[in-house]
Amino acid sequence: MKKKIGVYVCECGPNIASKMHIDKILESVKSHNSEDVEIVPIKHKLLCSVQGKKFLEEDIKKQELTHLVVAACSPREHNTTFMNICKKSDLNPYLYKMINIREQVAWVIPDKEKATEKAIQYINGGISRVQYQGELFENKIDAIPDVLVIGGGISGIESALSLANEKRKVVLIEKTDKLGGNSVFYKKLLPRQGAEKDFIAKKIAEVTNNKNIKIHLETELEEILGFLGNFEVTLRNVNNKDNKIEIKIGATIVATGFQLSNPTSFKNVKYKESDEVYTSLEIEKMFSEKGKILLSSGSEPKTVALVHCVGKDEKKYCSQICCNYMMKIANYFKEQSKEIKVKEFYKDLCLPNKDDEKLFRDTEKNGVDFVRIKDIDIQGNEIKYTGINGKNEKTKFDMIVVAPPIEPKAGTKNLSQIIDIPLDEFGFFQEVHQTTNPTGTATDGVFIVGTAQGPKGISNSMLMSQAVSGKIKTQLIPGEKIIPEVKTSEILEAYCMGCKTCLEVCCFGAIYFDEIKGISRVNEALCRGCGNCIASCPSEAIRHKHFTSEQLFQEVIEILK
Amino acid sequence: MSEEKVLIMGSGLPGMRASLLLANAGKTVYLVEKLSNIGGDAIKNEESFPKLECSTCMVAPTQQEVLHHPKIKTMTLCKVEKITGKVGKFNVSIKKKARFVSETDCIGCDACFPPCPVSISNEWEENLIDKKAIFVPCPGSLPNVPMINTEHCLHINGKKKECKACVEACMFDAINLDDKDEMIDVEVGAIIIAIGSETYDVSTLSQFGYGNNPSVYTAMEFERLFSSNGPTKGELTLRKTEKEPKSVAIIHCVGREEQGYCSGICCMYSVKHAHFIKHKLPKTKIYNIHTDICVADKTYFNFVENFRDKETKLIYHSSMKDLKVEKNGNGLSVNYLSGLGAKEKLDVDMVILASAMVPGEENKEISEMIGIDLDNHGFFMTKKDMVGSVESSKEGIFIAGCAEGPKDIQTSVIQAEATVSGVMKIFE
Amino acid sequence: MANNGAKISFKNGLQNQMRDFLKECMKKGIFDAVVLPVRVPANDSYAWILMNDISIVDQANPIPPVMPVQGAKALKSLTRKGDGILKIATIMKPCEIRATIELAKLSQVNLENITLISYDCPGAIPMSIYNNLSDDMEIFYNDVVSENNFVSEKMKEVCGFCVDFSDVPDDLHFGFTGLENEVYIIPNTGKGNSVLEKLEMKSSENLSQWKKNVADIKKIKSKNRIDIYKQVQPTVDGLDNLQKTYEKCIGCHNCQSACPICYCRQCFFDSTASEQSANTLIDIAEKRGGIGFPRDKIMFQVGRMSHMSLSCVSCGQCMDACPVNIPVAKIFSFVSSKTQNTFEYRAGFSGDEPIPLKVYKDDELSKIHEIVKNAESDGSEHE
Repeated sequence: MKKKIGVYVCECGPNIASKMHIDKILESVKSHNSEDVEIVPIKHKLLCSVQGKKFLEEDIKKQELTHLVVAACSPREHNTTFMNICKKSDLNPYLYKMINIREQVAWVIPDKEKATEKAIQYINGGISRVQYQGELFENKIDAIPDVLVIGGGISGIESALSLANEKRKVVLIEKTDKLGGNSVFYKKLLPRQGAEKDFIAKKIAEVTNNKNIKIHLETELEEILGFLGNFEVTLRNVNNKDNKIEIKIGATIVATGFQLSNPTSFKNVKYKESDEVYTSLEIEKMFSEKGKILLSSGSEPKTVALVHCVGKDEKKYCSQICCNYMMKIANYFKEQSKEIKVKEFYKDLCLPNKDDEKLFRDTEKNGVDFVRIKDIDIQGNEIKYTGINGKNEKTKFDMIVVAPPIEPKAGTKNLSQIIDIPLDEFGFFQEVHQTTNPTGTATDGVFIVGTAQGPKGISNSMLMSQAVSGKIKTQLIPGEKIIPEVKTSEILEAYCMGCKTCLEVCCFGAIYFDEIKGISRVNEALCRGCGNCIASCPSEAIRHKHFTSEQLFQEVIEILK
Repeated sequence: MSEEKVLIMGSGLPGMRASLLLANAGKTVYLVEKLSNIGGDAIKNEESFPKLECSTCMVAPTQQEVLHHPKIKTMTLCKVEKITGKVGKFNVSIKKKARFVSETDCIGCDACFPPCPVSISNEWEENLIDKKAIFVPCPGSLPNVPMINTEHCLHINGKKKECKACVEACMFDAINLDDKDEMIDVEVGAIIIAIGSETYDVSTLSQFGYGNNPSVYTAMEFERLFSSNGPTKGELTLRKTEKEPKSVAIIHCVGREEQGYCSGICCMYSVKHAHFIKHKLPKTKIYNIHTDICVADKTYFNFVENFRDKETKLIYHSSMKDLKVEKNGNGLSVNYLSGLGAKEKLDVDMVILASAMVPGEENKEISEMIGIDLDNHGFFMTKKDMVGSVESSKEGIFIAGCAEGPKDIQTSVIQAEATVSGVMKIFE
Repeated sequence: MANNGAKISFKNGLQNQMRDFLKECMKKGIFDAVVLPVRVPANDSYAWILMNDISIVDQANPIPPVMPVQGAKALKSLTRKGDGILKIATIMKPCEIRATIELAKLSQVNLENITLISYDCPGAIPMSIYNNLSDDMEIFYNDVVSENNFVSEKMKEVCGFCVDFSDVPDDLHFGFTGLENEVYIIPNTGKGNSVLEKLEMKSSENLSQWKKNVADIKKIKSKNRIDIYKQVQPTVDGLDNLQKTYEKCIGCHNCQSACPICYCRQCFFDSTASEQSANTLIDIAEKRGGIGFPRDKIMFQVGRMSHMSLSCVSCGQCMDACPVNIPVAKIFSFVSSKTQNTFEYRAGFSGDEPIPLKVYKDDELSKIHEIVKNAESDGSEHE
């Protein structure tokens, strides 16, 4: 069939028209006319205007174009605009090519003749390339709306609760034999959070009674394969690894939480030398279980030291919540008896939320002393410290409570290998973009929430769960299909030598190895068309469907002619 | 229930993020922005912490996607005047200020600026530079369509009725000086408030000498001063002397005591500013004068520690009320009380004030109009006694980003995505 | 490389000793089969033979004077289609071992059941010389081996400046540089150790003297290498010089066929993708006032360099194969030394070191930038 290529040159008002000879361009591109090719050269005042778009849409149909080249501004401005026009005119949008003659020519080449010449070269390249472009089609695939949540702490519970409904089932797995994670040990949440312990208990009851949430306790992830909308998951019982469950889900949320670091590992604390040095979580547990905080002898402490930031310098991150909860603990003591003398030792107070400062002021008013220090050493019951004023002091306390850093839950590394999410320098799960996408991972459909991603409080953890819920609800709509990337890589079987180089450079896990044929293959649902594999393939066995060597070659040859 | 439509107030990163998620799920979004451009405060920064990546590169693709999305009606220069009804069916009246420039016809060629005879101060650029009465806030603003200031345009304010310089310059007949404000009524099922925050007016705190000493800058002014698309094209010269500063003091926590909270991000951007200066003027001495260092994210501690002593000297001072910035010859001196309680003095050429984030001026008006609660500080309050919620005291109305309280971009984005979960639940 | 080895004294020549060693291993069931070079019946070349019959081993020549087919290619044919169950040993020149290691990283060779054995290599005689004078050359080469002459001028040019003639990550190594009627058998890996254990040989001899002997030879070869690279540099500096160097290329692609690393099923330069229509060619001819055939002489060479230089082991096969005597191997060796340095990589030196294509280091881009900058300033000096 004869190719009929429309070459539409946009004048962009005077922006392009005044900088080059448009008619000369239109005349010149006719040189591509041949037995097989007919060029339709047309200029327009402003193709992106309402009239311009309408004109282009109708003209593609009227002229029965097989290919389209638009020479106008940067594709960044209007590529989508013209692709949509192609769709409306029943021209496959991948048989169209946009050439930038504004930013790359009109605005940078002052000489009118030279600009015209350069524009002609670029457009020639486009005309040549577009003939080697092929039709690409969107491939709609079925998607499962159901979600797997890994971890039964508050983040996991909130994720499940905000997602589950009649049309979307949630499977919640938890390694231990009960739900709630660390939060069940807290006697109280922070005062500004209003709610007390039954808040957690209510959430647990709610998730347990929700018929759209299936809970598997003492269960862990064995294997996960697939992509957004279609994951195949194998779960297994923690105690009996042969006891397996296989499920199909559309998305996965990792909510594996945190643990407190072992304070004995930090140089300035001799934790086990005294029975009366406790971690904050031990105090929470004691207060929850006994309703009182007592020394191991059973008597009430008269003097208590709370030491912030233990191990922060070693871990190289701030755990964000310790300053707040240490004040909460100080208030536990004051509540128990006004007589208990409480001193908080800190280097910097981290009070990033709008109500934190009030808690600090209230705690101060409650009779708690705050001491800013430069350095501290805990030796048994004795604290040696250098104050901010440079003075060295030494004091004994009946009881010492330390706030060790939050660290990733044991097993995080193992899970990261199973689920293929990298860990950051601290061992937390690595988000795909810290600022703009803190819950996403390199695999679409796999999300991280709560302290699995980094230290944070209950409130922010729950918000993160809801954020992921917002993403899943808008990406996996029950009953609707999903459309994966069209411009993907493909591997030519005849060329592939099976060296597996591409498997290692793919950031999206989109390449797998066909053991029977001994070659690599692309999973098109996962491929984003980044081209890493193409660049790394030693055998040139991989090509990008919309950036083939031939397409680029022909474009460049034409430009260089 | 009305058709599935959502009103989003504020087009910063949280507003845009929520818009895109909802629009991609097929909901119609009215994205209302009071300014003539979208993108919020994030685009004022040259680079964002902690990765120091180019802010424009981070935000621009989102802006483009929003502007091109068929399900998002981006409404710039708009203000919500009235909201009635309840969850599922809110009736919203929006006042659209006349732009005088057609968004469909204008191609953003800037040809109308030079002929305009009026120069006025550019408040988007923190008043560090002038603009014409027909203007875009800064090069690269999106949508790339100018607006006309009605107060100063000679044709519109009647001082010189015959002036039509911009109209004559426009080759696309895109300017219509008879444009009128209009009212637009829409019906939506849910509302997201993401109007952001403002910064503390430091001129009210005489101890810092802001306003009297031209070499005292607010952090926002510095961001624009440093920006390559800003008033000086990124050249770091002081506003009066036009000289490069040889020493700079960056003061943290300005307005914290007055507001009664820590803004959570100032330590980070203040150290970022130190790094900016060091990068551009390697010989300049920089001091960060701080109280508590607040680095509440896994990567923030290292961010500060990596620059400590190498790029800036971090100095702890023990009393905000004893901190004073005074004129000292051609320069400034910063007087403060050290950790030891001793009086210290630091002579510098430039002072940057990290001013607190404060609730927006319109918060009160909006809260009364809708009937939702503000907290003691004046930020929007999420449900009382509710941990981890983004819903306001009224069902169907959600709060995201700094409208709820000071926070960094990532937490704002998380909140925005969380509001989407709430909105989707309404439509289930 | 290990610090200790087992020492054996011999009377009937090194090659005999090596054959005996292999036979002993086969008798004890340590290896089921061996792959060794055997002189072909026409006497003018060698071929790799897989043998599991002990009686044939005597026909093999473990240190052949030539390298007609790179050993890595033979091992690839043997193991690419899956891992056999037979335990196989092979004796190869160090550059053949290194090429094998490279191919293993690219999943083209499976080393699971293979034991790699190598030796201090005196070099190989160019095929063109050996072809016509094979009997003379056999005698000459035997003398070279027994006299321990590691710098003979008759060898391939790349052998003359090969600094890695002994340093090779083999499982077992026969080290004899500077020794008389003695050889160290050196285990470099767990595999090698277990072979010696099964033979009840103790690897307790200190190797320092031998290492010093190797280092002495290395010094001479290093100097040669610097000289050769100095010669090569101007011949490939810039497009004009490249053009001159490759002017006589006849486009036979023999260098590609002979290269052990070039393993693609279909070379891009042999594919239709690089063909152009007559119209296009005429257009180009018009513009330049004429074009030469075969096309893409430089493109092919530079393309091969960009694909292969990171894995090049400087075995010299390409140069041996060139019918028009272009010093391809010297050029490749020079370019490879630069590219491999850039990525802090040495082809074939460690099986654990991933090929640079698979890893990304933050500073590599700035490094490349630096190299390009330096190259540019070098270039201006030449002018």
